[in-house]
Amino acid sequence: MPSGLTLIEFLRDRLYLTGTKEGCGIGECGACTVLLDEKPVTACLVLAVEVDGCTVDTVEGEATDGQLSDLQKAFVETGAVQCGFCTPGMIMSARGLLRRNPTPSDNEIIEAMAGNLCRCTGYEAILAAVRLAAAAVQPVAEPLTGETGTERRRFLRGVESTRKDGWR
Amino acid sequence: MLGRFDYQRPSTLPEAGRLLAGNDGPAAILAGGTDLLVDIRGRRHDPRILVDIKRIDALRRLNVDSAGALTIGAAVPLNEMIERAAIRRTLPGLVQAAESIATYQLRNRATAVGNLCNGSPAADMAPILLALGAHLVAWSQRGERTMPLSSLFVGVKKTALAPDEIAAELRVPAPEPGLRSRFLKQQRLRGHDLAVASAAGTYAPTTGVLRLAVGSCAPTPLLLEPIEVGRSSKAVVEEKAVRAVQAAMQPISDTRASADYRRTVLPVLVKRLVSDLLAEGGAP
Repeated sequence: MPSGLTLIEFLRDRLYLTGTKEGCGIGECGACTVLLDEKPVTACLVLAVEVDGCTVDTVEGEATDGQLSDLQKAFVETGAVQCGFCTPGMIMSARGLLRRNPTPSDNEIIEAMAGNLCRCTGYEAILAAVRLAAAAVQPVAEPLTGETGTERRRFLRGVESTRKDGWR
Repeated sequence: MLGRFDYQRPSTLPEAGRLLAGNDGPAAILAGGTDLLVDIRGRRHDPRILVDIKRIDALRRLNVDSAGALTIGAAVPLNEMIERAAIRRTLPGLVQAAESIATYQLRNRATAVGNLCNGSPAADMAPILLALGAHLVAWSQRGERTMPLSSLFVGVKKTALAPDEIAAELRVPAPEPGLRSRFLKQQRLRGHDLAVASAAGTYAPTTGVLRLAVGSCAPTPLLLEPIEVGRSSKAVVEEKAVRAVQAAMQPISDTRASADYRRTVLPVLVKRLVSDLLAEGGAP
């Protein structure tokens, strides 16, 4: 293992796990966020040799048996994915958050996600997605009636309140 | 590939000391790597060996003793410090400084000691640790020495550490009962940014002493002379503090702000600090 190989290079170029994206290479954009021993870190500033003996979680670990995870479904549901380039990093930051704090406040979500930049969405839909996944409300398709309708309306109110308050 | 360097991961301080004193080319200490690896990538630094200190148990210690005195090992990530309840309770200014640095992900790697050793006049951990009277313990094969933190900074990105020395730990003395501490950082934007100007202060109601330190306004972070508050009014103390910072600062214009802006904003930060620290019935 060459000492100068970064974790992101190792993941993408050696393991062909190309879910993790490079945005800046200097730790400022968060696109390359992975979980290192459960902690969100930017893989561009970790050397592959440093993670000997550690666990690394990447976005490829989210879906199981072809089923999207709760977070992935929430991101799709709220429209939090536009170009998609920031999305794996966003998901991993959110995953790190929900593992250490399953019921985060809005402020806690913002602080946890503040290291992930997005040029497309304006962030509201992303925060709504994290809120949605945290509330463990199953994203559903169309109905506005019955039990699933209640869930759907609750979700829509969540998105709307995000819009009213702004992402702050 | 960031570069062609060797990587060593010693498990003891003596091993690390040998590597740093060795003849295999310039060595650099790797803790969080959030400054070092960026510098290597940007070709501002070209070490032959990286000495990873994160597996040295002695450097991972974050200890608050029964009196509240703090030991921060060189390999302790900022988030670990931020999340320690005892530190949040007794030294909120220290937590404020750490929380202002970079992003959550970077704070899982970056360290307080590393922030100081980078030697930037804008180092966010410097003002509060200066005001708290912190000391730095430096270790090498030649022995161990302890210095007041103010002695560490000798110039812009220059520290008093020898090439074979490891900054091993920070020691913060037990705070006086009811000590109040604050850190204020002026940035261009909310979120990840360097300090355009910064100020930290502590006030001990039991002794009536106010300690202030400022950053990003001189070649090094500056610890100002302590101010005896006594029975002086807040206005008088503010006046003293502003005059002290104006006399000490040597701001420059750079990509982030003009010298004029810094000259204007530092007194504002200092006044806010004094006001907050002296507030009646204030919590730590």
